[in-house]
Amino acid sequence: MEQTFVQARVQCLEFSNGRIRVARSGQDSELRWFLAAVTVVSIVALYYLQLDWLKLISRLPDLGKTFGLLALLDFHDFGLTLEAFSQTVAITVLATIYSVLLGLVLAAFGARNLMKNKFVTYALSAFFTFLRAVPTPVWVLLALVCLGLGPAAGIVGLCVHATAFFARAFTQSFEDVPEEVIEALEATGASKLHIFLSAILPAAASQIMAWTGLRFEINFSESAILGMIGAGGIGFAIANNIQGYQFGAAGLAIVLVFGFAYCVELVFTTIKKNYI
Amino acid sequence: MPEKISIMNPREKQVYTWFLVVVLVLFCLATYISRFNPLEVLWEQGEFWKFLFQDFLPPRFNASPVVVESILVTFALAVSSSFVAAVFAFLFAVFGSTSLSPWKGLARTIRGFATFLRNIPTLVWAFILFSSLGIGTGVGFIALLISTFAFMTRAFIEVIDEVSCDAMEGLTACGGTFWQKVCQGIVPTCLTQFIAWFLYCIELNIRASTIVGMVGGGGIGLVLFSYIKSFNYAGAAGIILVIAAMVIMVEFLTNYLRRKVLT
Repeated sequence: MEQTFVQARVQCLEFSNGRIRVARSGQDSELRWFLAAVTVVSIVALYYLQLDWLKLISRLPDLGKTFGLLALLDFHDFGLTLEAFSQTVAITVLATIYSVLLGLVLAAFGARNLMKNKFVTYALSAFFTFLRAVPTPVWVLLALVCLGLGPAAGIVGLCVHATAFFARAFTQSFEDVPEEVIEALEATGASKLHIFLSAILPAAASQIMAWTGLRFEINFSESAILGMIGAGGIGFAIANNIQGYQFGAAGLAIVLVFGFAYCVELVFTTIKKNYI
Repeated sequence: MPEKISIMNPREKQVYTWFLVVVLVLFCLATYISRFNPLEVLWEQGEFWKFLFQDFLPPRFNASPVVVESILVTFALAVSSSFVAAVFAFLFAVFGSTSLSPWKGLARTIRGFATFLRNIPTLVWAFILFSSLGIGTGVGFIALLISTFAFMTRAFIEVIDEVSCDAMEGLTACGGTFWQKVCQGIVPTCLTQFIAWFLYCIELNIRASTIVGMVGGGGIGLVLFSYIKSFNYAGAAGIILVIAAMVIMVEFLTNYLRRKVLT
Protein backbone atom coordinates (compact mmCIF):
# COMPACT_ATOMS: atom_id res chain seq x y z
CA MET A 1 0.00 0.00 0.00
CA GLU A 2 2.73 2.41 1.08
CA GLN A 3 4.85 1.39 -1.88
CA THR A 4 2.18 2.03 -4.50
CA PHE A 5 1.56 5.48 -3.13
CA VAL A 6 5.25 6.38 -3.42
CA GLN A 7 5.34 4.91 -6.91
CA ALA A 8 2.38 6.94 -7.97
CA ARG A 9 3.99 10.04 -6.52
CA VAL A 10 7.24 9.38 -8.40
CA GLN A 11 5.32 8.80 -11.60
CA CYS A 12 3.52 12.05 -11.07
CA LEU A 13 6.80 13.89 -10.69
CA GLU A 14 8.17 12.23 -13.80
CA PHE A 15 5.20 13.39 -15.83
CA SER A 16 5.87 16.98 -14.88
CA ASN A 17 9.62 16.74 -15.57
CA GLY A 18 10.44 16.33 -11.92
CA ARG A 19 8.95 19.70 -11.06
CA ILE A 20 6.26 20.32 -8.54
CA ARG A 21 3.59 22.58 -9.95
CA VAL A 22 3.16 25.75 -7.99
CA ALA A 23 0.56 27.61 -9.99
CA ARG A 24 -2.87 26.67 -11.23
CA SER A 25 -2.23 25.55 -14.78
CA GLY A 26 -5.62 26.76 -16.05
CA GLN A 27 -5.07 30.36 -15.06
CA ASP A 28 -1.46 30.23 -16.21
CA SER A 29 -2.41 29.30 -19.74
CA GLU A 30 -5.07 32.02 -19.84
CA LEU A 31 -2.53 34.59 -18.71
CA ARG A 32 -0.05 33.40 -21.31
CA TRP A 33 -2.66 33.58 -24.06
CA PHE A 34 -3.62 37.05 -22.95
CA LEU A 35 -0.04 38.31 -22.94
CA ALA A 36 0.65 36.79 -26.35
CA ALA A 37 -2.53 38.28 -27.81
CA VAL A 38 -1.79 41.73 -26.38
CA THR A 39 1.73 41.65 -27.78
CA VAL A 40 0.54 40.64 -31.24
CA VAL A 41 -2.27 43.24 -31.31
CA SER A 42 0.11 45.98 -30.14
CA ILE A 43 2.74 45.16 -32.72
CA VAL A 44 0.14 45.07 -35.47
CA ALA A 45 -1.22 48.42 -34.22
CA LEU A 46 2.25 49.93 -34.19
CA TYR A 47 2.86 48.67 -37.70
CA TYR A 48 -0.53 50.00 -38.83
CA LEU A 49 0.35 53.50 -37.65
CA GLN A 50 3.27 53.57 -40.13
CA LEU A 51 5.34 55.85 -37.92
CA ASP A 52 8.36 57.44 -39.50
CA TRP A 53 10.87 56.55 -36.80
CA LEU A 54 13.90 57.84 -38.71
CA LYS A 55 12.37 61.28 -39.09
CA LEU A 56 11.36 61.36 -35.42
CA ILE A 57 14.81 60.32 -34.24
CA SER A 58 16.57 62.74 -36.56
CA ARG A 59 14.56 65.56 -34.99
CA LEU A 60 15.36 64.60 -31.41
CA PRO A 61 18.07 67.28 -31.11
CA ASP A 62 15.36 69.86 -31.81
CA LEU A 63 13.46 68.53 -28.81
CA GLY A 64 16.49 69.17 -26.62
CA LYS A 65 16.69 72.69 -28.00
CA THR A 66 12.99 73.27 -27.23
CA PHE A 67 13.47 72.14 -23.65
CA GLY A 68 16.44 74.48 -23.35
CA LEU A 69 14.30 77.36 -24.57
CA LEU A 70 11.42 76.40 -22.24
CA ALA A 71 13.78 76.36 -19.29
CA LEU A 72 14.73 80.00 -19.87
CA LEU A 73 11.72 81.27 -17.93
CA ASP A 74 10.46 84.63 -19.11
CA PHE A 75 8.82 86.73 -16.38
CA HIS A 76 7.87 89.48 -18.80
CA ASP A 77 4.13 88.82 -18.86
CA PHE A 78 3.95 87.22 -15.47
CA GLY A 79 0.85 89.20 -14.46
CA LEU A 80 -1.12 87.95 -17.45
CA THR A 81 0.04 84.38 -16.96
CA LEU A 82 -0.90 84.50 -13.30
CA GLU A 83 -4.34 85.80 -14.16
CA ALA A 84 -4.89 82.98 -16.65
CA PHE A 85 -3.63 80.52 -14.06
CA SER A 86 -6.01 81.77 -11.35
CA GLN A 87 -8.81 81.47 -13.92
CA THR A 88 -7.89 77.82 -14.47
CA VAL A 89 -7.79 77.07 -10.74
CA ALA A 90 -11.14 78.80 -10.27
CA ILE A 91 -12.67 76.70 -13.05
CA THR A 92 -11.29 73.55 -11.42
CA VAL A 93 -12.67 74.41 -7.98
CA LEU A 94 -16.12 75.44 -9.17
CA ALA A 95 -16.48 72.50 -11.57
CA THR A 96 -15.53 70.09 -8.79
CA ILE A 97 -17.92 71.61 -6.24
CA TYR A 98 -20.92 71.85 -8.56
CA SER A 99 -20.39 68.36 -9.94
CA VAL A 100 -20.10 66.87 -6.45
CA LEU A 101 -23.44 68.44 -5.51
CA LEU A 102 -25.11 67.33 -8.73
CA GLY A 103 -23.48 63.91 -8.46
CA LEU A 104 -24.81 63.43 -4.91
CA VAL A 105 -28.37 64.19 -5.96
CA LEU A 106 -28.24 62.04 -9.08
CA ALA A 107 -26.53 59.17 -7.26
CA ALA A 108 -29.39 59.15 -4.74
CA PHE A 109 -31.76 58.46 -7.63
CA GLY A 110 -29.41 55.92 -9.16
CA ALA A 111 -28.69 53.83 -6.05
CA ARG A 112 -30.65 50.60 -6.08
CA ASN A 113 -31.21 50.53 -2.32
CA LEU A 114 -32.81 54.00 -2.35
CA MET A 115 -34.63 53.96 -5.67
CA LYS A 116 -36.79 50.89 -5.95
CA ASN A 117 -37.82 51.66 -9.51
CA LYS A 118 -35.52 49.47 -11.61
CA PHE A 119 -36.20 51.33 -14.83
CA VAL A 120 -34.94 54.64 -13.41
CA THR A 121 -31.69 53.17 -12.09
CA TYR A 122 -30.93 51.42 -15.38
CA ALA A 123 -31.76 54.48 -17.46
CA LEU A 124 -29.59 56.71 -15.27
CA SER A 125 -26.66 54.33 -15.33
CA ALA A 126 -26.81 54.03 -19.14
CA PHE A 127 -27.01 57.80 -19.47
CA PHE A 128 -23.96 58.31 -17.24
CA THR A 129 -22.01 55.68 -19.13
CA PHE A 130 -22.63 57.66 -22.29
CA LEU A 131 -21.63 60.97 -20.69
CA ARG A 132 -18.42 59.46 -19.32
CA ALA A 133 -17.52 57.81 -22.60
CA VAL A 134 -17.20 61.15 -24.40
CA PRO A 135 -13.96 62.97 -23.54
CA THR A 136 -14.26 66.20 -21.53
CA PRO A 137 -12.82 68.55 -24.19
CA VAL A 138 -15.68 67.56 -26.49
CA TRP A 139 -18.20 68.73 -23.89
CA VAL A 140 -16.22 71.92 -23.43
CA LEU A 141 -16.23 72.57 -27.17
CA LEU A 142 -20.01 72.14 -27.25
CA ALA A 143 -20.44 74.36 -24.18
CA LEU A 144 -18.32 76.97 -25.95
CA VAL A 145 -20.75 76.93 -28.85
CA CYS A 146 -23.74 77.49 -26.53
CA LEU A 147 -22.33 79.82 -23.89
CA GLY A 148 -19.61 81.67 -25.76
CA LEU A 149 -16.04 82.24 -24.65
CA GLY A 150 -15.32 82.48 -20.95
CA PRO A 151 -15.00 80.47 -17.76
CA ALA A 152 -18.68 79.46 -17.82
CA ALA A 153 -18.13 77.19 -20.82
CA GLY A 154 -15.17 75.54 -19.12
CA ILE A 155 -17.08 74.98 -15.89
CA VAL A 156 -20.16 73.56 -17.60
CA GLY A 157 -18.09 71.36 -19.92
CA LEU A 158 -16.02 69.94 -17.06
CA CYS A 159 -19.15 69.46 -14.97
CA VAL A 160 -20.79 67.18 -17.53
CA HIS A 161 -18.06 64.58 -17.39
CA ALA A 162 -17.30 65.00 -13.68
CA THR A 163 -20.96 64.75 -12.67
CA ALA A 164 -21.28 61.47 -14.53
CA PHE A 165 -18.10 60.27 -12.86
CA PHE A 166 -19.31 61.24 -9.37
CA ALA A 167 -22.79 59.86 -9.95
CA ARG A 168 -21.33 56.46 -10.73
CA ALA A 169 -18.80 56.51 -7.91
CA PHE A 170 -21.31 57.73 -5.32
CA THR A 171 -23.94 55.24 -6.47
CA GLN A 172 -21.42 52.53 -5.70
CA SER A 173 -20.69 54.02 -2.26
CA PHE A 174 -24.39 54.40 -1.44
CA GLU A 175 -25.12 50.83 -2.46
CA ASP A 176 -22.34 49.64 -0.17
CA VAL A 177 -24.25 50.97 2.85
CA PRO A 178 -25.66 47.86 4.59
CA GLU A 179 -29.31 47.08 3.92
CA GLU A 180 -29.95 46.71 7.70
CA VAL A 181 -29.21 50.38 8.33
CA ILE A 182 -31.85 51.48 5.85
CA GLU A 183 -34.31 48.91 7.10
CA ALA A 184 -33.86 50.06 10.69
CA LEU A 185 -34.63 53.64 9.71
CA GLU A 186 -37.59 52.57 7.60
CA ALA A 187 -38.96 50.73 10.62
CA THR A 188 -38.89 53.94 12.64
CA GLY A 189 -40.95 55.59 9.93
CA ALA A 190 -38.24 57.83 8.56
CA SER A 191 -38.88 59.40 5.17
CA LYS A 192 -36.67 58.82 2.14
CA LEU A 193 -34.98 62.17 2.66
CA HIS A 194 -34.27 61.36 6.30
CA ILE A 195 -32.77 58.02 5.38
CA PHE A 196 -30.53 59.68 2.81
CA LEU A 197 -29.40 62.52 5.07
CA SER A 198 -28.87 60.66 8.33
CA ALA A 199 -27.84 57.17 7.27
CA ILE A 200 -26.47 57.04 3.75
CA LEU A 201 -24.60 60.32 3.58
CA PRO A 202 -22.62 59.95 6.85
CA ALA A 203 -21.76 56.35 6.04
CA ALA A 204 -20.42 57.29 2.63
CA ALA A 205 -18.74 60.56 3.71
CA SER A 206 -15.15 59.34 3.79
CA GLN A 207 -15.51 57.73 0.37
CA ILE A 208 -17.09 60.89 -1.00
CA MET A 209 -14.09 62.88 0.19
CA ALA A 210 -11.65 60.42 -1.35
CA TRP A 211 -13.43 60.53 -4.72
CA THR A 212 -13.57 64.32 -4.59
CA GLY A 213 -9.83 64.54 -4.02
CA LEU A 214 -9.14 62.15 -6.88
CA ARG A 215 -11.41 64.04 -9.25
CA PHE A 216 -9.95 67.40 -8.23
CA GLU A 217 -6.56 66.31 -9.57
CA ILE A 218 -8.10 65.08 -12.82
CA ASN A 219 -10.21 68.23 -13.16
CA PHE A 220 -7.15 70.41 -12.79
CA SER A 221 -5.27 68.72 -15.59
CA GLU A 222 -8.43 68.82 -17.73
CA SER A 223 -9.01 72.49 -17.08
CA ALA A 224 -5.33 73.22 -17.75
CA ILE A 225 -5.71 71.86 -21.28
CA LEU A 226 -9.06 73.51 -22.02
CA GLY A 227 -7.33 76.60 -23.35
CA MET A 228 -5.50 74.56 -25.95
CA ILE A 229 -8.72 73.70 -27.75
CA GLY A 230 -10.08 77.24 -27.67
CA ALA A 231 -11.32 78.00 -24.14
CA GLY A 232 -9.50 80.39 -21.82
CA GLY A 233 -7.10 79.86 -18.95
CA ILE A 234 -3.53 78.71 -18.63
CA GLY A 235 -3.81 76.27 -21.52
CA PHE A 236 -4.37 79.15 -23.90
CA ALA A 237 -1.25 80.86 -22.54
CA ILE A 238 0.81 77.70 -23.09
CA ALA A 239 -0.49 76.95 -26.59
CA ASN A 240 -0.38 80.55 -27.73
CA ASN A 241 3.14 81.17 -26.45
CA ILE A 242 4.51 77.96 -27.94
CA GLN A 243 2.94 78.71 -31.30
CA GLY A 244 4.32 82.25 -31.16
CA TYR A 245 7.82 80.95 -30.30
CA GLN A 246 7.68 82.66 -26.87
CA PHE A 247 9.14 79.60 -25.20
CA GLY A 248 10.20 81.37 -22.01
CA ALA A 249 6.65 82.51 -21.23
CA ALA A 250 5.27 79.06 -22.12
CA GLY A 251 7.87 77.48 -19.86
CA LEU A 252 6.75 79.64 -16.97
CA ALA A 253 3.11 78.64 -17.51
CA ILE A 254 4.08 74.96 -17.64
CA VAL A 255 6.05 75.32 -14.41
CA LEU A 256 2.98 76.86 -12.75
CA VAL A 257 0.80 73.94 -13.90
CA PHE A 258 3.36 71.40 -12.74
CA GLY A 259 3.88 73.14 -9.37
CA PHE A 260 0.17 73.29 -8.60
CA ALA A 261 -0.49 69.69 -9.66
CA TYR A 262 2.46 68.53 -7.56
CA CYS A 263 1.31 70.47 -4.47
CA VAL A 264 -2.24 69.10 -4.78
CA GLU A 265 -0.85 65.59 -5.04
CA LEU A 266 1.32 66.12 -1.96
CA VAL A 267 -1.58 67.51 0.08
CA PHE A 268 -3.90 64.64 -0.82
CA THR A 269 -1.26 61.98 -0.19
CA THR A 270 -0.61 63.46 3.26
CA ILE A 271 -4.33 63.63 4.05
CA LYS A 272 -4.82 60.06 2.88
CA LYS A 273 -1.90 58.81 4.94
CA ASN A 274 -2.91 60.57 8.14
CA TYR A 275 -6.69 60.60 8.21
CA ILE A 276 -8.27 58.02 5.95
CA MET B 1 -31.32 70.77 29.28
CA PRO B 2 -30.63 67.35 27.80
CA GLU B 3 -27.10 67.13 26.48
CA LYS B 4 -26.51 65.53 23.12
CA ILE B 5 -24.13 62.64 22.69
CA SER B 6 -22.13 62.98 19.52
CA ILE B 7 -22.40 59.89 17.34
CA MET B 8 -19.39 60.79 15.27
CA ASN B 9 -15.83 60.40 16.40
CA PRO B 10 -14.81 63.98 17.41
CA ARG B 11 -11.53 63.76 15.54
CA GLU B 12 -13.33 62.66 12.39
CA LYS B 13 -15.87 65.43 12.87
CA GLN B 14 -13.05 67.99 13.08
CA VAL B 15 -11.64 66.75 9.78
CA TYR B 16 -15.02 67.10 8.07
CA THR B 17 -15.56 70.56 9.54
CA TRP B 18 -12.20 71.79 8.29
CA PHE B 19 -12.86 70.20 4.93
CA LEU B 20 -16.16 72.03 4.59
CA VAL B 21 -14.63 75.36 5.67
CA VAL B 22 -11.81 75.03 3.12
CA VAL B 23 -14.29 74.10 0.40
CA LEU B 24 -16.50 77.09 1.25
CA VAL B 25 -13.58 79.54 1.18
CA LEU B 26 -12.34 78.11 -2.13
CA PHE B 27 -15.85 78.31 -3.54
CA CYS B 28 -16.18 82.02 -2.69
CA LEU B 29 -12.72 82.84 -4.03
CA ALA B 30 -13.28 80.91 -7.25
CA THR B 31 -16.69 82.45 -7.82
CA TYR B 32 -15.15 85.90 -7.31
CA ILE B 33 -12.31 85.23 -9.76
CA SER B 34 -14.33 83.61 -12.51
CA ARG B 35 -17.56 85.63 -11.93
CA PHE B 36 -19.46 82.43 -12.70
CA ASN B 37 -23.14 82.57 -11.97
CA PRO B 38 -24.89 79.20 -12.22
CA LEU B 39 -28.26 80.95 -12.60
CA GLU B 40 -27.01 82.53 -15.78
CA VAL B 41 -26.54 79.07 -17.27
CA LEU B 42 -30.07 78.16 -16.23
CA TRP B 43 -31.49 81.34 -17.77
CA GLU B 44 -29.69 80.77 -21.01
CA GLN B 45 -30.69 77.14 -21.30
CA GLY B 46 -33.22 78.00 -24.01
CA GLU B 47 -30.30 78.68 -26.32
CA PHE B 48 -28.88 75.29 -25.40
CA TRP B 49 -32.02 73.31 -26.19
CA LYS B 50 -32.39 75.19 -29.46
CA PHE B 51 -28.81 74.31 -30.37
CA LEU B 52 -29.29 70.70 -29.31
CA PHE B 53 -32.44 70.04 -31.34
CA GLN B 54 -31.85 72.26 -34.35
CA ASP B 55 -28.16 71.95 -35.15
CA PHE B 56 -27.05 68.91 -33.28
CA LEU B 57 -29.80 66.34 -33.61
CA PRO B 58 -30.39 64.17 -35.50
CA PRO B 59 -26.78 62.99 -35.82
CA ARG B 60 -25.51 62.40 -39.31
CA PHE B 61 -23.36 59.31 -39.71
CA ASN B 62 -20.69 59.48 -42.29
CA ALA B 63 -19.22 56.06 -43.00
CA SER B 64 -16.59 57.32 -45.37
CA PRO B 65 -13.24 55.47 -45.44
CA VAL B 66 -11.63 58.49 -43.79
CA VAL B 67 -13.78 58.14 -40.67
CA VAL B 68 -13.28 54.38 -40.44
CA GLU B 69 -9.54 54.77 -40.89
CA SER B 70 -9.31 57.50 -38.26
CA ILE B 71 -11.16 55.31 -35.76
CA LEU B 72 -8.62 52.56 -36.40
CA VAL B 73 -5.76 55.05 -35.99
CA THR B 74 -7.15 56.24 -32.63
CA PHE B 75 -7.56 52.67 -31.44
CA ALA B 76 -4.08 51.66 -32.66
CA LEU B 77 -2.55 54.71 -30.96
CA ALA B 78 -4.14 53.85 -27.63
CA VAL B 79 -3.21 50.16 -27.67
CA SER B 80 0.34 50.48 -28.96
CA SER B 81 1.28 53.39 -26.71
CA SER B 82 -0.11 51.58 -23.66
CA PHE B 83 1.83 48.45 -24.54
CA VAL B 84 5.18 50.16 -25.16
CA ALA B 85 4.64 52.27 -22.03
CA ALA B 86 3.93 49.13 -19.98
CA VAL B 87 7.16 47.48 -21.11
CA PHE B 88 9.24 50.54 -20.25
CA ALA B 89 7.32 51.16 -17.03
CA PHE B 90 8.03 47.59 -15.87
CA LEU B 91 11.77 48.04 -16.44
CA PHE B 92 11.80 51.40 -14.67
CA ALA B 93 9.56 50.22 -11.84
CA VAL B 94 11.81 47.33 -10.81
CA PHE B 95 14.68 49.79 -10.53
CA GLY B 96 12.46 52.47 -9.00
CA SER B 97 10.99 50.46 -6.14
CA THR B 98 12.89 51.27 -2.96
CA SER B 99 12.52 47.76 -1.56
CA LEU B 100 13.96 46.15 -4.68
CA SER B 101 16.26 48.54 -6.48
CA PRO B 102 19.97 47.76 -6.21
CA TRP B 103 20.79 51.47 -6.08
CA LYS B 104 18.72 53.68 -3.76
CA GLY B 105 19.80 56.85 -5.54
CA LEU B 106 18.52 55.51 -8.85
CA ALA B 107 15.18 54.64 -7.23
CA ARG B 108 14.73 58.21 -6.03
CA THR B 109 15.72 59.62 -9.43
CA ILE B 110 13.22 57.41 -11.24
CA ARG B 111 10.41 58.38 -8.87
CA GLY B 112 11.18 62.06 -9.28
CA PHE B 113 11.36 61.73 -13.05
CA ALA B 114 8.03 59.91 -13.19
CA THR B 115 6.42 62.52 -10.92
CA PHE B 116 7.67 65.27 -13.20
CA LEU B 117 6.36 63.60 -16.36
CA ARG B 118 3.04 62.70 -14.76
CA ASN B 119 2.10 66.09 -13.38
CA ILE B 120 2.25 67.78 -16.77
CA PRO B 121 -0.93 67.04 -18.74
CA THR B 122 -0.71 64.90 -21.89
CA LEU B 123 -1.83 67.74 -24.11
CA VAL B 124 0.97 70.01 -22.86
CA TRP B 125 3.44 67.30 -23.81
CA ALA B 126 1.76 67.09 -27.18
CA PHE B 127 2.22 70.82 -27.72
CA ILE B 128 5.88 70.77 -26.66
CA LEU B 129 6.52 67.84 -28.99
CA PHE B 130 4.57 69.36 -31.88
CA SER B 131 6.66 72.50 -31.74
CA SER B 132 9.90 70.59 -32.09
CA LEU B 133 9.03 67.37 -33.92
CA GLY B 134 6.24 68.62 -36.16
CA ILE B 135 2.58 67.58 -36.32
CA GLY B 136 1.69 63.95 -36.95
CA THR B 137 0.58 60.60 -35.62
CA GLY B 138 4.10 59.73 -34.47
CA VAL B 139 4.22 62.74 -32.18
CA GLY B 140 0.78 61.91 -30.81
CA PHE B 141 2.11 58.43 -30.08
CA ILE B 142 5.09 59.82 -28.15
CA ALA B 143 2.92 62.26 -26.17
CA LEU B 144 0.61 59.43 -25.11
CA LEU B 145 3.63 57.24 -24.39
CA ILE B 146 5.16 59.81 -22.04
CA SER B 147 2.12 60.29 -19.80
CA THR B 148 1.11 56.63 -19.81
CA PHE B 149 4.66 55.61 -19.01
CA ALA B 150 4.81 58.00 -16.06
CA PHE B 151 1.41 56.91 -14.74
CA MET B 152 2.22 53.21 -15.03
CA THR B 153 5.66 53.58 -13.49
CA ARG B 154 4.12 55.00 -10.35
CA ALA B 155 1.32 52.43 -10.29
CA PHE B 156 3.77 49.54 -10.82
CA ILE B 157 6.13 50.80 -8.11
CA GLU B 158 3.19 50.95 -5.69
CA VAL B 159 2.13 47.43 -6.64
CA ILE B 160 5.65 46.09 -6.15
CA ASP B 161 6.06 47.79 -2.78
CA GLU B 162 2.66 46.62 -1.58
CA VAL B 163 2.41 43.07 -2.79
CA SER B 164 5.80 41.52 -2.64
CA CYS B 165 7.22 42.50 0.74
CA ASP B 166 7.33 38.98 2.21
CA ALA B 167 8.38 37.32 -1.02
CA MET B 168 11.24 39.81 -1.37
CA GLU B 169 12.39 39.16 2.18
CA GLY B 170 12.37 35.43 1.55
CA LEU B 171 14.34 35.72 -1.66
CA THR B 172 16.83 38.11 -0.09
CA ALA B 173 17.31 35.67 2.79
CA CYS B 174 18.05 32.90 0.27
CA GLY B 175 20.63 35.10 -1.36
CA GLY B 176 18.68 35.67 -4.58
CA THR B 177 20.22 38.08 -7.07
CA PHE B 178 18.35 41.11 -8.38
CA TRP B 179 17.13 39.43 -11.58
CA GLN B 180 16.15 36.28 -9.69
CA LYS B 181 14.07 38.44 -7.39
CA VAL B 182 12.41 40.10 -10.36
CA CYS B 183 11.67 36.90 -12.28
CA GLN B 184 10.74 34.63 -9.37
CA GLY B 185 9.34 37.17 -6.92
CA ILE B 186 7.88 40.14 -8.73
CA VAL B 187 6.52 38.66 -11.93
CA PRO B 188 4.44 35.83 -10.43
CA THR B 189 3.02 37.91 -7.57
CA CYS B 190 2.39 41.21 -9.34
CA LEU B 191 1.59 40.22 -12.91
CA THR B 192 -2.19 40.22 -12.50
CA GLN B 193 -2.18 43.68 -10.92
CA PHE B 194 0.14 44.97 -13.64
CA ILE B 195 -2.36 43.69 -16.19
CA ALA B 196 -5.22 45.37 -14.31
CA TRP B 197 -3.40 48.72 -14.54
CA PHE B 198 -2.56 48.08 -18.17
CA LEU B 199 -6.22 47.52 -19.05
CA TYR B 200 -7.15 50.68 -17.15
CA CYS B 201 -4.54 52.62 -19.14
CA ILE B 202 -5.98 51.38 -22.43
CA GLU B 203 -9.37 52.78 -21.36
CA LEU B 204 -7.77 56.11 -20.44
CA ASN B 205 -5.75 56.25 -23.63
CA ILE B 206 -8.72 55.69 -25.92
CA ARG B 207 -10.09 58.96 -24.56
CA ALA B 208 -6.70 60.70 -24.41
CA SER B 209 -5.82 59.78 -27.98
CA THR B 210 -9.05 61.41 -29.14
CA ILE B 211 -7.99 64.61 -27.39
CA VAL B 212 -4.40 64.51 -28.65
CA GLY B 213 -5.87 63.97 -32.09
CA MET B 214 -7.79 67.25 -31.81
CA VAL B 215 -4.63 69.33 -31.67
CA GLY B 216 -2.84 67.52 -34.48
CA GLY B 217 -2.15 63.94 -33.44
CA GLY B 218 -4.39 62.46 -36.11
CA GLY B 219 -7.25 60.02 -35.66
CA ILE B 220 -10.93 60.56 -34.90
CA GLY B 221 -10.27 63.62 -32.72
CA LEU B 222 -8.97 65.57 -35.71
CA VAL B 223 -12.09 64.71 -37.73
CA LEU B 224 -14.34 65.81 -34.86
CA PHE B 225 -12.44 69.05 -34.35
CA SER B 226 -12.62 69.95 -38.02
CA TYR B 227 -16.39 69.23 -38.05
CA ILE B 228 -17.00 71.50 -35.05
CA LYS B 229 -14.77 74.25 -36.45
CA SER B 230 -16.65 74.15 -39.76
CA PHE B 231 -20.06 74.29 -37.95
CA ASN B 232 -21.01 70.81 -39.18
CA TYR B 233 -22.72 70.00 -35.88
CA ALA B 234 -24.86 67.12 -37.13
CA GLY B 235 -21.72 65.41 -38.43
CA ALA B 236 -19.98 66.16 -35.13
CA ALA B 237 -22.88 64.55 -33.23
CA GLY B 238 -22.42 61.41 -35.31
CA ILE B 239 -18.69 61.33 -34.55
CA ILE B 240 -19.35 61.87 -30.83
CA LEU B 241 -21.72 58.91 -30.81
CA VAL B 242 -19.09 56.83 -32.61
CA ILE B 243 -16.45 57.83 -30.03
CA ALA B 244 -18.82 56.98 -27.18
CA ALA B 245 -19.59 53.61 -28.75
CA MET B 246 -15.88 52.92 -29.17
CA VAL B 247 -15.08 53.80 -25.54
CA ILE B 248 -17.98 51.75 -24.19
CA MET B 249 -16.98 48.77 -26.33
CA VAL B 250 -13.40 48.95 -25.09
CA GLU B 251 -14.69 49.15 -21.51
CA PHE B 252 -16.80 46.03 -22.07
CA LEU B 253 -13.81 44.25 -23.56
CA THR B 254 -11.45 45.19 -20.73
CA ASN B 255 -14.08 44.21 -18.14
CA TYR B 256 -14.46 40.85 -19.86
CA LEU B 257 -10.69 40.34 -19.94
CA ARG B 258 -10.45 41.32 -16.29
CA ARG B 259 -12.98 38.67 -15.32
CA LYS B 260 -11.41 36.09 -17.59
CA VAL B 261 -7.72 36.60 -16.88
CA LEU B 262 -7.49 38.05 -13.41
CA THR B 263 -9.73 35.77 -11.38
